[in-house]
Amino acid sequence: MALGEIKADTLTHSTAGSLATNFVVEGSAKSWVRFNGGTSVVNDSFNHSSFVDNGTGNYALHYTNAFGNALYCGQATAKEVADTSAVNNNGTFAMLYSYETGRIQMTTVSPDGNVRDGQTSNLTINGDLA
Amino acid sequence: MSEILVNKLTGTSTAGSILVTGEGNSTTTNLQQGLLKMWADLSGGGTPAIDDSTNTSSVTDVGTGERRINLTNSMSSANYMAIAGMINDGNSGGARGAAGHHLGTQATGSVQYKTMYGSTSSSDGNLTDSHTQEGAGIAGDLA
Repeated sequence: MALGEIKADTLTHSTAGSLATNFVVEGSAKSWVRFNGGTSVVNDSFNHSSFVDNGTGNYALHYTNAFGNALYCGQATAKEVADTSAVNNNGTFAMLYSYETGRIQMTTVSPDGNVRDGQTSNLTINGDLA
Repeated sequence: MSEILVNKLTGTSTAGSILVTGEGNSTTTNLQQGLLKMWADLSGGGTPAIDDSTNTSSVTDVGTGERRINLTNSMSSANYMAIAGMINDGNSGGARGAAGHHLGTQATGSVQYKTMYGSTSSSDGNLTDSHTQEGAGIAGDLA
């Protein structure tokens, strides 16, 4: 066993209970990104290698370490924008598509269904690494 | 079966960095970076209440369809990743399509989000409290 490495099936806290370590491995997010869709700037991330702006409200997020399959779970949210085109139309909804082992794509739309750049946009991925 | 009895995990080289071998048995992932630093399940409606959570101190009802979750331990910056969702129920009449959410203000000590109607013509984007459950989570660096 390498120095500084522990192999165990269970972690037990003195008062908070036990946790099988597969929950640690499988329950940890394998990638997350926060970015600005308007300026194409990534603010902070984990296991994220690059950002591609495919056009208004359309982005590709690439992973540093790929997933073992494309059947992972993605969740995304975007921040409201200062839109003055319609009352109460400032919200931004985020949707994911094109799940691949090395990347995922995301689109952001206004509540009335028109694609637009999100300001703060967020993505997190749970699943199996390759 | 091996079991470790421990109250705190700390990296040997870097205290806040522990690697975990991934499902493919080769690639490693960083434990601290992969953990949610806050999650909360709330009862929706006009008076939001936290039903279950980690690292939350309170919820503030900012207004119709707008909540602020206050953190017990703050984040190091406001550039953290935040997600939120809501159950699509509580249709109390009028046009209501896909329920949605969007993020408001993010600060190191709190995160704010809104719940609203989706594309339903007259109700496009209107903030709403007419649902029973919602949730939020954040990932990033603790202070």
